[in-house]
Amino acid sequence: MEAALQTDTHAHGGGHAHRESFIRHYIFSTDHKMIAKQFMFTAIIFLFIGGAFALFIRWQLAYPGEPIPLIGQLLPSTWVNADGAVTAEWYTQLLTMHGSIMIFAVIIPLLVGTFGNFAVPLMIGADDMAFPFLNMVSFWLFPLAGVLMMAGFFVEGGMAAAGWTGYPPLSAIASMGQTLWIVSLFLIGFSSIIGGVNYITTVLNMRAPGMNMFDLPMTVWAVFITAIIIVIGTPVLAAALSMLFMDNFLHTSFFMPADLVVATRDMSRTAGGGQPLLWQHLFWFYSHPAVYIMILPGMGVVSDVLATFARKPLYGYKAMVFAIIAIAFLGILVWGHHMFQSGMNPLLGTTFMVSTMVIAVPSAIKTFNWLGTMWRGQMEFTVPMLNAVAFVSMFVIGGLSGIFMASTPVDIFIHDTYFIVGHIHYVLFGGSLFAVFAGLYYWFPKMSGRMFDDRIGKWHFWLTFITFNGTFFPMHILGVGGMMRRIYDPTVYDFLKPFQPMNEFITINAMVLGFAQFLLVYNMVYSWYRGRAAKRNPWRANTLEWVAPSPPPHGNFDVPLRVYRGPYEFSSPESVQDFLPQNVPPEEVVAQRARHEKRLAASQTRDGGSGE
Amino acid sequence: MLDWLPENVSVFGEGVDHLFSLIYYISVAIFILVNAIYIAFIFRYRRKRKGERAYYYHGNNILEFSWTALPFALFLFLAFYSDGIWEDIKYSDKTPNPDLVVEVMGQAYLWHFRYPGSDGIFGRRDSRFMATTNPFGIDPDDPNGKDDYVTINSMNIPVNKTVLVHLSSMDVIHSFFLPNMRVKQDAVPGQWVDVWFNSIKTGKYEIACAELCGSGHYLMRAVLTVQPQADFDTWIDEQYGSVSAALVAAGSPDQKNSSAPAATTPAVPTK
Repeated sequence: MEAALQTDTHAHGGGHAHRESFIRHYIFSTDHKMIAKQFMFTAIIFLFIGGAFALFIRWQLAYPGEPIPLIGQLLPSTWVNADGAVTAEWYTQLLTMHGSIMIFAVIIPLLVGTFGNFAVPLMIGADDMAFPFLNMVSFWLFPLAGVLMMAGFFVEGGMAAAGWTGYPPLSAIASMGQTLWIVSLFLIGFSSIIGGVNYITTVLNMRAPGMNMFDLPMTVWAVFITAIIIVIGTPVLAAALSMLFMDNFLHTSFFMPADLVVATRDMSRTAGGGQPLLWQHLFWFYSHPAVYIMILPGMGVVSDVLATFARKPLYGYKAMVFAIIAIAFLGILVWGHHMFQSGMNPLLGTTFMVSTMVIAVPSAIKTFNWLGTMWRGQMEFTVPMLNAVAFVSMFVIGGLSGIFMASTPVDIFIHDTYFIVGHIHYVLFGGSLFAVFAGLYYWFPKMSGRMFDDRIGKWHFWLTFITFNGTFFPMHILGVGGMMRRIYDPTVYDFLKPFQPMNEFITINAMVLGFAQFLLVYNMVYSWYRGRAAKRNPWRANTLEWVAPSPPPHGNFDVPLRVYRGPYEFSSPESVQDFLPQNVPPEEVVAQRARHEKRLAASQTRDGGSGE
Repeated sequence: MLDWLPENVSVFGEGVDHLFSLIYYISVAIFILVNAIYIAFIFRYRRKRKGERAYYYHGNNILEFSWTALPFALFLFLAFYSDGIWEDIKYSDKTPNPDLVVEVMGQAYLWHFRYPGSDGIFGRRDSRFMATTNPFGIDPDDPNGKDDYVTINSMNIPVNKTVLVHLSSMDVIHSFFLPNMRVKQDAVPGQWVDVWFNSIKTGKYEIACAELCGSGHYLMRAVLTVQPQADFDTWIDEQYGSVSAALVAAGSPDQKNSSAPAATTPAVPTK
């Protein structure tokens, strides 16, 4: 009801939004669509920074100690040695920043920040988020945090170098860069919490009239549940970060045992009595659910894209919703599976193994339901569909490789090896990032009002898909071979020397993978200005965002909305077309059908007449 | 894929590898099954003619139930099956009686190995004495500690004997990784963790650090020498000889406290 009122007040006659100053419109905007674009723009910049870091890492692993081609000599002497090769110090910073940036500044802002902001209000028929001003604050904390994290470049000792997991004591006896990292994550967490509260409130209070919770598209369900995880988990991370900050800065001992022998730091001011494992518990209590924060919205987007392009109702809608809820609930109970070899009581290993095995069940349910959605469909392989299809297949690999780690005895061997690196990239790149691509292409017409270039989109997809597998699949084999993660030079070890050709193969694939992403940027930028104009509903989809003009004006909808059915009524026999938008009244459907049958009958009589 | 595993020479490693291959074959089977259906669907149900309708169908509760129950049963089976092996390896009440006890201390970026002297007793440790020159914090006033000897980046053990490692770290978290023994255990400062293994084959194997411990993380390599008992005894005598020679040379008054006799016995713990 509220939404309907707001929609009415904002419907300034067919999309003529009131004029705003440049700063209000493009910088300190409170419009959810502009904030979504800001999240997207910022996160894609970080995607390229994080990707470049990964390529430096890969170069070093494939060709240890060899100068970086072309730009090696241009890099500052704190990063590279005299020849222009990556130093061990910079390597450690690179791997830390690659992980931190990709997780906190790319995947979460793209999935939650961008799609959450863009799609949620549109899909529930609201004119904006519940708290537009908080939404703006949530965005602006993010580039601030990103800049703080990167500011490690300019301080003594360089960037943070304790891994994205920041395990103390290493992270508690570190340089200024680590402190910046802590503050940065704290701010990003703050931004997440504000965003999370906003999503929860928006979904609960601002749905269009007639829209029940079980009329919500999967994307909205996923972002809603994700927001709940964020609100539960992130304060714990914030607490842990505060303690780490104090250990670092004020010489407290939350995570510090007594009498450590550290050459680089005077430990006499640290009393001791703390427990390093406490950090791991607190960190993973947030960061394991964070993995689901990074995959659930992707699952939602993929569900919507698959149903739309299979022209079929989503298979087992309610099972899909309950599976998301189950993943979220169980996700809070499995953090200890990161700590099987940490020195934690092995009895806890047993319990966390059982909960981890159980969480594979809802993931399996989702996979089977996606298959069911495709069964007897009429699939159209557009660019978003290709990316969604790839998501499912890659997620299956990421899920299956997870079973190895869940099994505690096998984890003894593969823990902290490249098997884990392969697994996480199948989930976060093969899963989350393909979902991001699917969502970006899917909503691009709505966001920009223009169509993207299909041919470049397909090139981008195929190049990414092939080189992604070329990059990350062999990592499982490296892990089986025992290659430890985060090592600067694998050739130090005799048992890893045979894997050097594989490391080179991975690096070559990674280079192509990295450069292929310029196709995405080119496609987006070019199409934004030169693309063919998009219709309101180019994909013939059912959800409410396609009722709004492309791009939607300030206030979103130019027609009053009421929801009559669920989001996946594709190929319904009721309807004349093979889709049935959520807002079309039943009497209108009946009338359309009557008109259609009349036309059909008329043409039949005509045909019959001419036949005689 | 499993051919890439480093050679297993550990007694419990067989159980680990067996489980590894079991999960491997299960997941390959699931992968092939799911992807075969998937690819078949992609070709079979792509839009071929315009205007054709997809099957209007919302789902089937019996199917939903069965593909919930089947994975549930499979994963619970895997969890309980894994747990038996896990308990045998990790639970302290299932650890076999050790033939040799070695203390291992991680330090950025090396491993210290401490053997009890000829008395078979480790000297008392106190973290207050910990220093780069005394990584284990051996109490200088404890006579039992006088003949303890410490090696750096090299560990010797007898073949076919149960070796118990007391593991800790003096600075940051390290992880004691023996690929061929299927051993990995984090070394956490301020905490002692027990790990055991039993090598069934002599030879030289590598020990690595598996937890990021700083920029020199990759350099934290040690060598494990698995020897026949006789060779190990000779090695240990040599080590002990050098320790007592050093004690004699130092001629410190503490020496009389040392319980070191000339003849040596293999280091058997009195635990």
